Formats: sequence, structure tokens, C-alpha cells
Amino acid sequence: MSPDIIFKFANAGILVNEIAYEKISLYDDPLSLSSSLIADLSRNYNKKDLVIVTGDMVDKFLKENGNSPDEPVGGKVKTEIKLEPPSGILNSNLDTETLEKPGLGTFNENKILENIEETEDLKEDIISQNSDEVELILESVDDADFDFKILKDTSKKSYTSGNIKDIVSYFSSRYHKIRDFLKKRKDLSDYSPIADIYQSQDVVKIIGMVKEVRTTKNNHKIIELEDESGEISVLVHNENHKLFDKSETLVRDEVLGVVGSRKGNLIIASEIIHPGVPRVEEKKMDFSVVFISDVHIGSSTFLEDSFNKFIQWINGDFGSPEQREIAASVKYLVVAGDIVDGIGIYPHQDKELTIKDITLQYDEAARLFGQIRQNIKIIIAPGNHDASRVAEPQPAVPEEYAGALYKLKNLEFVSNPALVSLDGLKTLIYHGRSFDDMAMTVKGMSHEQSDLIMKELMEKRHIAPIYGERTPLASELEDHLVIDEIPHVLHTGHVHINSYKKYKGVHLINSGTFQSQTEFQKIYNIVPTCGEVPVLHQGVFKVLKF
Amino acid sequence: MDYFEKLEKETKKLYDLAAKARSMGRDVHTEIEIPLAKDLAERVEGLVGPVGIAQRIKELESEMSREEAAFNIAAEIASADLKDSKEDEMTQRELMADQALRTALAILTEGVVAAPLEGIAKVKIKQNFDRTNYLAVYFAGPIRSAGGTAAALAVLIGDYIRWAIDLAPYKPTDTEIERYVEEVELYESEVTNLQYSPNPDEVRLAANNIPVEVTGEPTDQVEVSHRDLERVETNNIRGGALLAMVEGVIQKAPKVFKYAKKLNLEGWEWLEKFSKGPKSEKEKKGQDLVKADDTYIRDIIGGRPVLANPSEKGAFRLRYGRSRNTGLAAMGVSPATMELLEFLAVGTQMKIERPGKGNCVVPVDSIEGPLVKLKNGSVVKVSTVEQARTLKGKVDEILFLGDMLVAFGEFLRNNHVLLPAGWCTEWWVEKIAQSSQYDLKKDPLDLKSLENKSITAKEAFEISEKYEVPLHPDYTYFYHDLSWDDLNMLQDWIMGKKEDYQEGKEFKIAIAPQKRILEILGVPHILNDSQIIIDAHDAYALFKTLEKPLGEEKQSTLLALNKVSPVQIMAKAPTYIGTRVGRPEKTKERKMKPAPHSLFPISNFGGSRRNIVEAAKKGKISVEISRSKCTQCQISSFQSICPHCGSPTVITAPGKKKINLSGLLRKASENVGIRKIDEIKGVQGMISEEKFPEPLEKGILRAKNGVFVFKDATIRHDSTDLPLTHFTPREVGVSIEKLQELGYEKDCYGHELEHIDQIIEIKVQDVVISDNCAQYLIGVAGFIDDLLEKFYGLERFYQVKDKKDLVGQMVVGLAPHTSAGVLGRILGFTKAAACYAHPYFHSAKRRNCDSDEDSIMLLMDALLNFSKSYLPSSRGGSMDAPLVLSSRIDPEEIDDESHNIDAMASLPLEFFEKSTQYAKPSEVVHIMDNVQKRLGTAKQYQDIMFSHHTHSIHQGPRVCLYKLLPTMKEKVESQVELAEKIRAVDQKGVVEGVLSSHFLPDMMGNVRAFSRQKVRCTKCNKKYRRIPLTGECKCGGNLILSVSKGSVVKYLEISKNLANRYPINPYLMQRIEIQEFGINSLFESDKSKQSSLDVFL
Repeated sequence: MSPDIIFKFANAGILVNEIAYEKISLYDDPLSLSSSLIADLSRNYNKKDLVIVTGDMVDKFLKENGNSPDEPVGGKVKTEIKLEPPSGILNSNLDTETLEKPGLGTFNENKILENIEETEDLKEDIISQNSDEVELILESVDDADFDFKILKDTSKKSYTSGNIKDIVSYFSSRYHKIRDFLKKRKDLSDYSPIADIYQSQDVVKIIGMVKEVRTTKNNHKIIELEDESGEISVLVHNENHKLFDKSETLVRDEVLGVVGSRKGNLIIASEIIHPGVPRVEEKKMDFSVVFISDVHIGSSTFLEDSFNKFIQWINGDFGSPEQREIAASVKYLVVAGDIVDGIGIYPHQDKELTIKDITLQYDEAARLFGQIRQNIKIIIAPGNHDASRVAEPQPAVPEEYAGALYKLKNLEFVSNPALVSLDGLKTLIYHGRSFDDMAMTVKGMSHEQSDLIMKELMEKRHIAPIYGERTPLASELEDHLVIDEIPHVLHTGHVHINSYKKYKGVHLINSGTFQSQTEFQKIYNIVPTCGEVPVLHQGVFKVLKF
Repeated sequence: MDYFEKLEKETKKLYDLAAKARSMGRDVHTEIEIPLAKDLAERVEGLVGPVGIAQRIKELESEMSREEAAFNIAAEIASADLKDSKEDEMTQRELMADQALRTALAILTEGVVAAPLEGIAKVKIKQNFDRTNYLAVYFAGPIRSAGGTAAALAVLIGDYIRWAIDLAPYKPTDTEIERYVEEVELYESEVTNLQYSPNPDEVRLAANNIPVEVTGEPTDQVEVSHRDLERVETNNIRGGALLAMVEGVIQKAPKVFKYAKKLNLEGWEWLEKFSKGPKSEKEKKGQDLVKADDTYIRDIIGGRPVLANPSEKGAFRLRYGRSRNTGLAAMGVSPATMELLEFLAVGTQMKIERPGKGNCVVPVDSIEGPLVKLKNGSVVKVSTVEQARTLKGKVDEILFLGDMLVAFGEFLRNNHVLLPAGWCTEWWVEKIAQSSQYDLKKDPLDLKSLENKSITAKEAFEISEKYEVPLHPDYTYFYHDLSWDDLNMLQDWIMGKKEDYQEGKEFKIAIAPQKRILEILGVPHILNDSQIIIDAHDAYALFKTLEKPLGEEKQSTLLALNKVSPVQIMAKAPTYIGTRVGRPEKTKERKMKPAPHSLFPISNFGGSRRNIVEAAKKGKISVEISRSKCTQCQISSFQSICPHCGSPTVITAPGKKKINLSGLLRKASENVGIRKIDEIKGVQGMISEEKFPEPLEKGILRAKNGVFVFKDATIRHDSTDLPLTHFTPREVGVSIEKLQELGYEKDCYGHELEHIDQIIEIKVQDVVISDNCAQYLIGVAGFIDDLLEKFYGLERFYQVKDKKDLVGQMVVGLAPHTSAGVLGRILGFTKAAACYAHPYFHSAKRRNCDSDEDSIMLLMDALLNFSKSYLPSSRGGSMDAPLVLSSRIDPEEIDDESHNIDAMASLPLEFFEKSTQYAKPSEVVHIMDNVQKRLGTAKQYQDIMFSHHTHSIHQGPRVCLYKLLPTMKEKVESQVELAEKIRAVDQKGVVEGVLSSHFLPDMMGNVRAFSRQKVRCTKCNKKYRRIPLTGECKCGGNLILSVSKGSVVKYLEISKNLANRYPINPYLMQRIEIQEFGINSLFESDKSKQSSLDVFL
């Protein structure tokens, strides 16, 4: 364990003297204590200062925090000095049972749900087994081995100044990007501008942005489409069942192609073409990636116990041998927003917060995430609860608030959305605000089945197509919300309900939450799936329950 | 001649003249379109019909209560015999049921509000799945204006009709019931909160049991998930139906049940389940009502200062009584307080802790003013406006705000327990009068004059000792606001210097920390060279009251004091009332945006200013319009009588038509003999169904006279409503002769009118308009005279040169959510920004005086120019239109709020004593005199007295500081400064409140709105949900943002400024910082961030 502590401090640019080190290592959870201490120090010292932690400083820190158990850091430090073994591992019998249990309807494919629970048995073996695990970890993942790349990130790339020109350029960018995908489709290569279709008599092919979708009295669908040359109405006849069904999922402001015949000022559609997703090749993985979101640290409904168990598991200190084996192979942890509960997000939020200071919320996050072993790369995108702007794309959480997390060397902040490459596994991270609009607009879509929404968004090649409803969109000069490149994984959160689907080779993952049911959710009868963590275990999808 | 006959005679004169003018056929119709109604029955007939129903209503009303009459009428109309007609039986029956419901609802809402017309879309007979027929009532949004009870009764009337025409009850399916449950939830989350939030089971119970279908038109663009139900025509929220069910039937369940029982209607027993739930909650509330209640400052708005925290020491002191300008939710405040605070003008609204939620401020100078501490350390009682004006700049702290005069009727109206009365001279005088030692017959003290006389401290003690009454209020200080220790410390300090005190001389004492106790106690004093100087009287009172030290036993300060003081000391201010400033007062002409002179459509040809002159330069223009066609010669025109052959015309269907505007304008100009007018503003398009335009001449003449037209072709002036039961000729600026001409003969004490300071009781339909309103009406009168002379070729009527000429002219008062005007007569003028009139007049319009505002128009204007043809065809179009005119006010036929007006010249002793016991208003109402007790007698129109004098109804500021300060920054600065000054206000709370309940939500809302906004064309005003890909409007015009950057950042700087200057909660501080980060990210390109940084600093 010792190198970990030293590493931690070294990574934060802080030195530790011998006495301090000994004091820290005597505690039952030295890593957690170190994180708290680093967070505390980083608040009080300038980055450039040379800081050496002395025994006195540790004592002072412990005294301050030990005496006020309300402090988020204090509660974790036990004053009684005693080496305690890790709490326990899973009974192997129980384990197989869980594996055989039928899954919860949420997961359609490849679903394995593993319950991780504490048991009183098998405590004798723990210590030896534990040390094995550590070795296993060190063997499997080498520290310098990350092949991590940020392929797309919009932080500090907001070039809008909020003018009308910027809005024009935003939608124009959206249209052009998606039109270029559609243009490559064989059946649309000879599309024509809307203004020109009056010259042709027979088959017309256009690519346009949806202005409006409505149902006529006779229950046909009318799609108003526009491009830069003009606009036209497209009729989808209700007897053309297949096409009509397809038109049910159309939403405003998406870009699509239509093939049909012109009748006066109307096009009778015979085909509706989405930009779509080509099947992607399975990515070979000899490592594992863990996906979480909506941790809501600082909220009174944050499930700290299950999150602690999660951390113990990922560090190899918890779970059945099989589960530990999974943990040992974990190389990346991705967080799709709402890591903290934030402040002032909704009226009277302060009444539901245990930490009412945004910086302290991130400090607490740093304490928790800081316990995760160094050789796991953590990638964090903001959500609507984080300290960022509300309009999407959201820039990464600024260092001003999350300074303590920025200190962690194995942690990266990215924008929402962001595209990253994890040893070649292209992962698109998006918090999921647009699910609200999709669930409201499209018949049959709901927050419970965000996998269906994700599939639809992939088909539309846009992460938040609907403008003017709940999802605020910033008029960036380029539309970063277009899915330019097909990822191997689309990872989302926001709805607090897990879901998974493999669609054309893409893993569509919603990672649920670590927050129990809130008052708001109670009123709307939303039942969250708490502490269910999806893992891509060397390419195979699994879910662990904490 | 009797007053009402006089009004009616004058009114008839105007009707005759207007009828003559309209019969010429130059308008849309040849008749006057505002029927005159003498009473409720005629109003109902005028408003909703059917023809001849007034007679029947009167008959039934003589036999039974109005409510029963309404139900009986409904049954009679609905079950009348069918006529021989082309329409089938069912359609006829539906129409009859529809009429029945509207008529009955109109009776229940006094024939004033628009709900019977607009709140009910239609009534249908539909089929249950067991093939039986049932009745469905389709409600629309404006049912809201009927109020909860009337909406609920509409449902009950529906059931009564159902029973009368023998239909089966409505049997809802489970999905239909769940649809209601969903809609209620959706309405609250997406549209707005309901007054009462029922739980799903309550909705289920109601939906399952109401025997008629409560359904309605879609009101909001929100779709439900229980879609495409066979019997529910819309997938959107039915707002009207929800209001009727929730705020009606469910919220008013006990009342509805009472009616159902009275009418022997079966199938409403389930309502009993509701009668208990909400009520017990209310009772619980009743118990802790005496605790401080912070509801009124849950939201603190920028620029609207908090004047006192809930029940805080130094807040307004409760004083019972009514002055001639209070009541009906208007409450009196010393004009000195108003002047000092600057944020209170005559008619400014205050949100108050109790009783009720809000009031309007009016000046009453016979009650106590504020107590202030000056910068030089002196403590001064401020009693006049002049004094307040000179001291204003020198005030360091406002120790006490003064009295708030609240009528007993306000407690009665709000059913609020009485709160202990402040110790005041009228109570003290009553005490002496009731004293067994006092010989009332001889009246040695002349009690009548004693009330307003100031007496010396010595006399005060003598009286108290002689008649065994508590000490005079002037020498009773705020002892109860001190702690036992503080009072003892003060006693020690003063008595320690007893040797320096000489009776009858002022008392000097060196400054010491105890001075603060003296300040809180409210003893006026001067600070001079570190010497505190207390005048002879206050010194006498202090030495006498505090001659002995308090007993050892630590108890309530007042109790302890009374054990040792030689005379009884009362609690000076047992009830403090917290307040904050609400909406500012208003008096302003009504202008639509943009403001037209004429309802003549010119599309976009007149530019963004909609100038008809500009459009006429284009020659012929194409607009959507209808013409009228002669029934004889087929020539089309814009008149109701053919200008060519004189035969009647009919209006043709509207459509896009080419009109020769330049020709029309030239001709119209010639007709009225006016050539040079640069701007006559028209409208873009007509919003009425017929789309028939006004004669252009009217627009020309309005432009000439500088007046603007409202959507119904009348000209309006809006003011805050204030009550007035008595006036003096001086204050309203009218001569004795003129008053006598108007029928005023005596003052309120029965003396002949001789001088202009006599107090006269106002007649119930006379109104005192603001100077601003008078100025505008002079223009309107000029327009009407021009119109009569030049357009109709008749004689000029008003011939107004000066506002004095307006006195005695007839006006129409009309409130926004109603459709019945009330006849009024101009009596005089006020400098205040308000319209003073008898409480009955406001109540007849269904308004009270807690900052409601409504309009006045000249009667002749309404008669000549109003037409239903101009009203918008959309739902709610006939609201705020004079569809009928009530010519006389009968207090029995108006909103019963006005029945709570107090009518006493003084309050009885028993009342004051009951108030200290927290009695319910109903327990003391028998010893009080109010309008309720006078209904049906001659006294309902006269001798309604008041208990507190005021010298003038427009003392103090006439415009509140909120309106005077141009920017929000300055408003907030002043608000925070005031919070600092007033002892009863917590400044930190104000700053935090403004940030958390106004600025932050506003900023967050605007950031969100900015990122999903619509765009708008500068040329044709067309809106786009999303900018078109072409980047421009279809008309080629420029598109602009509908939410500007300015509106997003407008509060950022002030918020930061406040946050930096005051010690606010770090939570709020961080919220502001995060907002700033978000806003900068939206408006600042990361490329240019460095260079433009200083813009934001």
C-alpha cells in the first residue's frame, strides 16, 4: 500500500515527511485520508508553493476534522488506530445464483447482473487473497500503458458571441454536416435543392431539415422540410404502413433525406432516409472499462455506502474472485455527468444538500475518486448539475471549482459531449439532457428505455436534435452535437435508469445513478436504478450491483 | 329628483343623441350596441339572454333566494317545449341546455363577469357506453374569472339541467378518469399551479362521481399520454375543465354540497369526503395564525422594498378603524410615513402579513406617524408630511413605522381572528366614558374633543388616577418591546439622576449606553453636546412611571412594570404587521402595442409604425378585410346604409381584397375637413371574425386629438381603484354651486353646504378621477365633438375647454375580466395616481382595492364607437368589452365583499377588549355596524360613517420611488438603503431575498430562454420557432433575436455588485459566479476572451 500514498501526494505536487507518512499509514483507510488531506491543502496553498506535509500538519488536520463530524472529510477518519481487514467477499455459491437469475427487463442483450454484497463468511482468507489481488492488478495494467486520446472536446472552444449570425451558422453547420453523410448514400447522391424540384416531374430526392411534423385530419403525416433554397411539405400516407411507422419517430430540426413524387406543392414520400449508422467492427479489448454517471455527491440522497463499495471493488478490495478479476482488468472509468449535485439547480435545492458549497462538493468528489487506484484513468464530463454553462455543448467543469479533482493525475475532464479513445475504443460521452425532449415528443419513447432513444439519436446522427424545448443549445459556429464519427460506445446518464443495447456493433450504455429516489422522482413515480454499474469486461457487457 | 333618476335622465339624453348619430348608417351597425340595464335581471338578459328572461328572473327572485332562482331558471329554460324547427330534437335540446346554463351562471355571478359567455364553450348531449344519454359541459379558460364557487355551481347547474331534461348520469371509463388525474398533474407541472393541489385519489373520486361530464376545449399546447379517447376530443390539456373540477368542485366541496342538499339533488353525497380534509388543515392554521407569518416575503423583488419583517418590533402598528378613504382592502398609513419611505405613494400596493395578502396604501393623517432617530442622535416623532420632508435626509434609523389603519371589515372578509389593538386615544376615551367615576351627563372633560386634543403629562396622570383608567397613549411608551433587564437598567440610570430633575422642566442627562433603551422605548429626546434632553412632559411621565424599581421576579416586562407603576400602563403596540412594497400605483391611458388610432387594417404597407398615411402613398393595397354590400343596388361600401341609394347593406365574407387606400383616405379627409396629418396609425390586420374596418374618419379625428383606440373601438384610461365614502369640495376641486347642481345639499353631519372644507358623503356612482385621466378625457371629448360635428353633422356635445367642464359628465367603468360596464359620473379630481370612487362602484365591477386597476371611458364614446363586430373572434374576446351597461347600483346585487364596509363613527369599548382576546370576527359582528346590516334599507346609500379623519385624500407622495428611479440598479440601491434604515428590516435578508427570489431565477430563466429562443422578422413581425436555414424571413426581412443578450445579462452586474458589498450566504455567492461563467461562455468567444475581458469588469 505504501507506494500508493506517496504516489498520491507526489502527483498532487506535495511532499510528505516520514513522520507524517507513518501517521497516515496507521489509519484504516490511509488513501481516503490522503485524498482529504490533499484536497484540504490544495484549498489553502498555491499550486506553485512547495508544500511538505509534516506530522504536525497531519495532527492538526485530524483534530480539525475529527472534531467536526459534519465535515465531509472528517467522518472517514477513525480515531481508533487499528488495522482492519477489508469487510468481506462474496460467497461463491451466492454468486452463481445471481448469475442464473433472470435479468431485469432493462437490459436487452448480453446482460449479466452481478450482485455484490457483503458477507460475514470466509474472512480468514481475506488477507492473503487481498494481497494476491494487488499483485494481479499490478501485473495486468501497467501504469504508463494508457493509450488515451481526446478525439473531440469543445471546452475552451466556444466561439459564439450570441449573435443572430451565430445561430444561422450553427444550423447551417448542422445541415451541411448531416447532408454530407446523406449525400454519400447511393439513393441520395443525385438529390436536388428544394427550390429546383419544381423542374422535375417524376421522382424527387431532397435533403432537408425538419421544420415541423404534424398529423392531418385524415391521419396522414405532413413533414415540413427546408434547406437553404426553400421549403416544402412532404406527405406520408397512412396506408404506407412501414413508412408511416418510420415517420412516427421524426422530430423537429433533424436532417433527413426524402425520395418521393411531386404533386403540386407537395411531395408524396416513398422513402425517408436517415443518415444512419454503418455496422461497426467489434473492437478487441484486453482490458475493461467501467461506466458510471449521476453520482450526485453533496446531495442528501447520494448513496455513499454503495459508492464506497464500488471504490473498494474497483481497487480489488471487494467482491468474489470473479468480480475481483473483473476489477483487476479495469483500465478506464468514465463518468457521464452529474458527478456532484451542484447548487441552485432547482428551487430550494439547499434543503436537500448535505454539502452546500460547490467547491466542497468537488473536494468530496476528489476525496472519493482519489481513492481509486492510480492505474485507472478517470474521465469526467459535466452534466446539468455540474458547475458549467447549461447550454450544450457544455465545457468541462472549470478548475476554479473542481481544483481538487484537477490535482488527481489520473483524471481527465472533458466537455459534454466528448469523444475519447480508450486504447482505441472510441467512446462518445453525453450526459443525456436531450432524452427529456425525445421522451416528450416521440410516441413510445420514455426515460425508462433510453436505449431506444440512443438508437434513434444514432440513426439521426445527432445527439440533441430538437431545438427550442428543454435542452438549451448554444449557437456554436459548428454543431458539435452532430455525431461525426461512429463510436464503439455511446455512454449516457441523466435519466437515472440503466439501459443497454448493442446496435450495429455499437454499445449503447446508460449507466444509471448513485442517488436514491428523490422527492421530485417520488412525485413523478420515477424509480431509479441505483448503484448498478455497467462494465465492458474485455469487450463483454456486464453489470455489477453495489 | 332622486339621484338615480337624475343619472338615468342624463344617460337617456346621451343614448338619444348617439342613436341619432348611429342611425345615419355610417358605422358598422345602425343601432347602439350597449343595452342599458337597471338591475341584475336586465343585466343577465343583456349579457347572455334569452330575450324576456329579465321579467321571469324578477318574479322568481321575489319568491326565493337568488341562488334558488338561478337553478329554477335553468330547469325552466332547458325543459321548455320544443319548437317546430328544421333542427332535430337533440340539437334543439342541446341549445336550450346551453342557454339555461349560461343564464343561470350569469345570475350567480351578478351578471357582470364574462364567464357565462366565455367560460363555457358549449353544452352537448352525449352517449354513455350503455347507450344512455348524458350531459357534457365544455369549459374554457375564462371560467377562471367566475371564481371557484361559481365554476363549481356551473357543474351543479349542469346536473340540475340533466335532471330537468331527464338524462342519465355520465359514466366515465377508467381511462377517462385516469386522463383527469394525468391532466391535473400535467397542468401543475407544465402550466401553472392550482390554488389547491388535489392528490390523485381525490381527482379519481371527483371524476368518478360528478354526474355530468366536465370537459372542455384544449387550452395549452401540452399533450397528455392518455390519448385518442373516443369521448374526449382533444389530446391537449383542458384547462377550463380542470379549473371547474379542482378549484371548483373539489376546493369548494362544502359549499357545493350545501347547495346540492338545499336543492334536493341526489348523487353528491361523496362530496362529504372532501368537506373534512382541507378544512381541518385550515383550522390548524387558525391556531397558529398569531405567530409571525413570512408568506409575504417568501419572494422579494428587486426595487420593491421590505418595510418590515414579520411581526417585528418597529413594524406597522395595528390600529382599528376606517377613514373615509379606506376599506375594501385599502388601508391607511400616515402620510408622514409615506413621505419618509418614498416607496409608498397614494395607491401603492403593499403585500402584508395579515389580515389578507395585500392592500393599497392611502394617507390617513389622524393616526400615528413614524418615530425616527436622526443622524445627530436625536429621536423625533414625525407627524406631518412637511416635517417628514425636512427630516428625510437626516434620518439615521426608522425606529417605528407608525400606524396602519385596518378596518374591522378586513378581518371579517378574511375570516381572520382579531389581533390585539394598539393602545390609542379613541380606546382611552371609551375607557373614561365607561368608568364608574365619570359622570357622562356632565361630561367634565368634553370627551368628544378630548380624543384629538393633546394633554400634558400631569393632566394625563391626574385623569388616570381620578377615573381609574390606563395612562394616556401619548405617555405610554413601547415598554413591552424591552426586556426586563433593559427596563430595570433604564430605571436605575434615570432614577440615579433624580436630583437633576425638576418637575415641569426638561430633563438633561449625560449620554450613556442606556440611550439605546430610550430609543427602543420610543421616548423622544434631543442629543446636544453629549447631553440627552428629554422634554418636560416625557420626563414627567418617565419619572412618574418608573418611580419604583421592578420587582425581583423576572417576568413579562409589562406585567412587572404594572406591579410598580402608579397607574395602569397598556401595551402600546401589541400587534406589529410586516409588509413589503408590491405593485406601484398607476394612472395611464390604455394603449395597445403598437397603439393604433383606428381599427383599419393596412397589413405591412405602413411600415413598422403602421402609418395609414404612409400606406396610402402606395395607392392600392391588398389586405384581408370585408366590405358591406347594398341589398338594393349591390354597390359595396364600408357603411351599414348604402351611401348611394340609402338602403340597408349586409356585411360580406372577409377575404384578401385590393382597396384603394389613397382614395379612401383622401375622401375621409375631405369628409372631416382635415388634411395635414402626418401619422394616423392603423392595425396590421383585423382580429375580429367579420374583419369589418372602422370608418377612416374616426382614425383621422383620433389622431388629431391625440387619443388611441382599444380593440373594441372605445378609448380607455386605466387607474388603480381606491375607495372613497366622503370628500371635501376643496380636495376634489369643485365649487359648492357645482355640487349643488349635481344634487349635493348637505354635508355628512346634516349641515347646509357653505364652505369648501365641509365633509360630504359621496353618492355611490360618482367618481373622482386623476388629473392625468382628466387630461386624457379632455382629448376624448374633443374627439367626440369633432366626430359629432364633422362626421355625423350634429352639434358638438361636450364643449370641454377645461377639466372643470368634465364634472357631471357620464362615464363607464369597466374591469378587465368582466363584460358589463357600470355607469358613473365625474365628480371631481385627485392629484393621486388613482381613481377614487364609492366602494360599491368598485364592487359593482367586481374589483376590490388591493391594487386592482380598471378603466374609465366617456359614455358617448362607448355608445358611438363600440361594436361587437370589432371584438376578437378568439376565446376571451368579449372580456373587457361593454356588452351591457348597469345604470344603477344596488348593493344587494353586487359582489358581497362590499358588504363588509364598516359604517361606524367610533368603535365600542367591547370591541377593543375582544381584540385582546383574539376573538373571531363573527363573535363581535353584532356590536359593529356595517353595510351588511343596512342592505335593503335607505341607510344602504347614506350615513355610512367613518371613524378616523384625514385632511386630504392625496397627501404624501403621488408617485412612488419605484417609478421615479430609472434603472433597476438604482431601485435596488434604494431598497437596500431603506432596509439598512428601518429597524424592523433585516438587511442581509433583503439582499439575499432579492438575489435568490428575483435576480438568480430571472438570470437562469433567461439563459435557458436564450438558448432555445425564437427569432422574429423586423419587417413583418413573423416569428420562427427556429431560424430558417436561409437566415432570413420569407418576406426578405431581417431576423432578430427575441431574447436579447441584454435581457440575459441585465441583472448580472447588479447581482455581483450586491454580492460583493454585503455579507451574503456563500451559497448564493457561488450561484452568481456559476451563472457568470455560463453567461460569459455564451456571449464571449474563447478567441477574443483576453481582449474583451474588461467589458465585463
